[in-house]
Amino acid sequence: MSDAVVVIGGGPAGIEAARTVADLGVRSILVEQRERLGGTPIFESYAALTPHFDSAEEAMDGMIAALAERDLAEVRTNSEVTACKGDAGDFTVTIQGAGGSEDVSAAAVILATGFTHFDPGRERQIYNYYQYPDVLALQDLEVMLKAHDIRTPSTGEPPKRICWIQCVGSRDRNIGNEYCSKVCCGVASKQAIEVRQILPDSRAYIFYIDMRMYGYWEQQIYWPAQEKYHVQYIKGIVTEVLEQQGHLLVRGEDTTMGRPMEVPMDMVVLSVGMEPSQGTKDMAGLFDVPQNKYGFVEVTNPPLDTVTTGRAGVFAAGAALGPADLEDTISSAGAAASRAVALVRRGSMAAA
Amino acid sequence: MSIPMEAVAGPGRKNKKEFQWSEEHAPADFRDGLFELEAAGELVVQRVPDDHVLVPLKYGRTKKVPIGQTWHHKSCGQCGHIPGYSTSIFWVNRKLGIEYEDPKDQTSCTAWNYYASATSNSAAQAAVAVRNFAAAYESGNFPIIHCGTSYGHYKEVRHELLHHPELRKEVRKVMEALGKPLVLPEEMVHYSEWFHAMKDEIARHQVRDFSKIAVTVHPACHYYKLVEGDAIYDPEVYGGQRTAIVTGVAQALGAEVRDYSTWFDCCGFGFRHILVQRDFTRSFATQRKIQRMKDEADPDVTLTHDTGCVTTLDKSQFAAKAQDPNAATIPVLSEAQFAALAMGAHPYLVCQLHWHAAEYRPLLEKMGIDWEKAWAEFEEATEKLRKDDKAVLTWEDVDV
Amino acid sequence: MGDAAFKLAEPSYPEVSYEEKERLFAEVKADMRFDDYLYGCYECGICVAVCPSARYYDFSPRRIAQATAREDVELVFQQMQEDIWECSQCFSCLRCPRGNNPGGIITIMREVAINNRLGSAHEALKGYTRIIYKVMSTGTQVSPDMLQDDAFPDWGPGVAAVSQNLDVWRRALPPETHHTTTTGWDIARSTLVELYLIWHKTGALAMIADVDESLHALLEEVMEDLLEEEGYALD
Repeated sequence: MSDAVVVIGGGPAGIEAARTVADLGVRSILVEQRERLGGTPIFESYAALTPHFDSAEEAMDGMIAALAERDLAEVRTNSEVTACKGDAGDFTVTIQGAGGSEDVSAAAVILATGFTHFDPGRERQIYNYYQYPDVLALQDLEVMLKAHDIRTPSTGEPPKRICWIQCVGSRDRNIGNEYCSKVCCGVASKQAIEVRQILPDSRAYIFYIDMRMYGYWEQQIYWPAQEKYHVQYIKGIVTEVLEQQGHLLVRGEDTTMGRPMEVPMDMVVLSVGMEPSQGTKDMAGLFDVPQNKYGFVEVTNPPLDTVTTGRAGVFAAGAALGPADLEDTISSAGAAASRAVALVRRGSMAAA
Repeated sequence: MSIPMEAVAGPGRKNKKEFQWSEEHAPADFRDGLFELEAAGELVVQRVPDDHVLVPLKYGRTKKVPIGQTWHHKSCGQCGHIPGYSTSIFWVNRKLGIEYEDPKDQTSCTAWNYYASATSNSAAQAAVAVRNFAAAYESGNFPIIHCGTSYGHYKEVRHELLHHPELRKEVRKVMEALGKPLVLPEEMVHYSEWFHAMKDEIARHQVRDFSKIAVTVHPACHYYKLVEGDAIYDPEVYGGQRTAIVTGVAQALGAEVRDYSTWFDCCGFGFRHILVQRDFTRSFATQRKIQRMKDEADPDVTLTHDTGCVTTLDKSQFAAKAQDPNAATIPVLSEAQFAALAMGAHPYLVCQLHWHAAEYRPLLEKMGIDWEKAWAEFEEATEKLRKDDKAVLTWEDVDV
Repeated sequence: MGDAAFKLAEPSYPEVSYEEKERLFAEVKADMRFDDYLYGCYECGICVAVCPSARYYDFSPRRIAQATAREDVELVFQQMQEDIWECSQCFSCLRCPRGNNPGGIITIMREVAINNRLGSAHEALKGYTRIIYKVMSTGTQVSPDMLQDDAFPDWGPGVAAVSQNLDVWRRALPPETHHTTTTGWDIARSTLVELYLIWHKTGALAMIADVDESLHALLEEVMEDLLEEEGYALD
């Protein structure tokens, strides 16, 4: 029976899980493929977090600093898990790092390998992401927001008219990602507010099918976006982004008014959905963990158990499980940590 | 412990060369169903001949396009109103030394009527399709389809036959009465896919310089919007983000292809509208397509690859000009006629441009073609036809 | 009075009974293709945005999908009477993310309208019957001899030129099958026999009786004559 937990993936889910395991008095080993911790919020240069507008970088650095204070937590960057043998309570996990390969003993494993943004080239609507530099994805705009410098790529000028197109790569039977990606409505609205703050002369539009504003997001984001920042929400998703005489032309139906519309825009931002990352797919395969048809890690007993996978002793946290916002991620990381530690303590799987 | 927290380089925006279709993301492949049913004895599948070219489709798949031994499934509208279109397809085949069959035992797909009037049903449409496929199968030549609507409609018929056993049963009964098997070809091949597959070979036979010709492309709705996974998407053309059909050929011939903001719009044919409600068709075609092309791209010609689209875009312009003398004029050609002209075809004896409505003579001049002389040659050739009402022009006659 | 989702206004076409409208909707729904064509609709509006007819008519493929999804038989009947013939059948609406096919639903509604002799079908196909005759009896549609300048005056003076020179210009076509004027190409007699048998056996010929009785009689005569000559009995 081992007394350690291996956590794979150094984003918010992995950091939270590793720190919680340590706080519960058990050794944790956090394995991260890239050169530092922080995951997608750091590597995709996220600006402000939804819905409180805290700095993503500061939040991640704070989490990392807190992890650094835990003596029971060990961090290995530039490292990958390459093999795993054994069973729950007694895994042998092979970690490949700069210094070579090492077999590590673990009672439990937590997959926190996260997501990737949907590639707009696969979208069935004609958004021309690869054709027009002024068509961006959410993460491309985050880079500009973090720098507080928003410019239309083709002209170098701040955009006067900017719009978001929701549900890109999600909710589509033919693409295959039928699910809703949960966070993009909040994120796009957050971005629209930030743009209106930085460029008060700009006009912001969000084209949507449904506005997903769960719980407190309604009054934290949606109402202020409309009431304070005059973001225009138009029910009717865009189907084509074309170019006409130097600016982008966005085509959709204004369903409220019941008529086709064609409007010029300086910048178009695609609210791309979340898909399982290559790391999630690789680790699910390596650990023989069942995935759902979208490639995310499947849990065996939802909704009462949100973190236990089909392989005994292997848990998952964060966006490896499916579209998740930061609160979901922190919560599932804590749940995964608690069940992993319970396994160590009791020498068997905790009952649901 | 100390954990490094240095800044990292920001994410690069993905570049179009990095994008690739992968089969992982492709929808279900009709071929699975097709070969399963063949194995179960439910239908016969006519294979593409060994001598074929592979073309890239959406989602990273490929399709076999036969080079020769083809059974040309003609288009009623082309043969009826724009006979230079089908003549050019045959002429290019002949020029490349390729053997083909132009069958008499072929009916129209009847889809123009079906989409116009709905005076038919699934079984009749499927039976008409299968009867044509059986005729091809029995000839030993592989069907290649001239019209975009026939092609799209047949893709739909294929889907219905593969998914509905009760339809197969009904069609099989009809075929039995005709003494024919229930056949589907391994691939539905549109002639423009053949042109795409052969574009480099065609370019090797090019004798006229098209480097000064600016072109806009109009892709047919029924080609790429019906069963959308089965259409040519080539990473070399538009980065694989739009169908490469027609554009690939135009580029291979050295023409400059220009974009415009209604590229993905229908032409406005309407099937029924172009015959009995023409104000819609001509308004749509001229306002949404021709005028936009003119204003934004100012091409010398617009190219398309479907009967209905050529008809609509070509024939709608006169009425617009009658109403407003400043209305745009752009000559309309199929890429088959365009390729034939590039290869030295006679504009009247082969491309039959006198059947077209929109002014095309400045285009011919830009191609270095003396159309006055060409017309005189056509009149001379037809003189003998006026004298002898049994005489016809042969393929030898038209290669002046 | 039925359990339609809700009734907000007085039904249009009150002279047609609710039961009749229900029956027509049931016929649409029973079509083999219906489940391929209609899933759910979240009113995104993509279909309207790409639709050419939506730009020029008060026409909405979204409203068609919504009405059939809601099983609102009153609204569906109204659409069968007023809207379905405006569709261009381009199938741009297949860009629907739910996988719906509004153009396909409309195709089914048109067939049902014809089979039930709805007035709209009759109106829409007025002036179109000669085309039906041509395609069903010759296996090619819109033949060269239909290019006459009183039929297509808006296509320009070229039509008159074609018409005046038709016979010579057709013989000036190199493809051997193109030397025809009454049909698009030279179609074999045996092929026409096969085509007529198809129309007869699949019920397509019988459908024409619902469009135009005299057209049907004419077609039936032409087909029966040829089939008899070739030794086929129509069972």
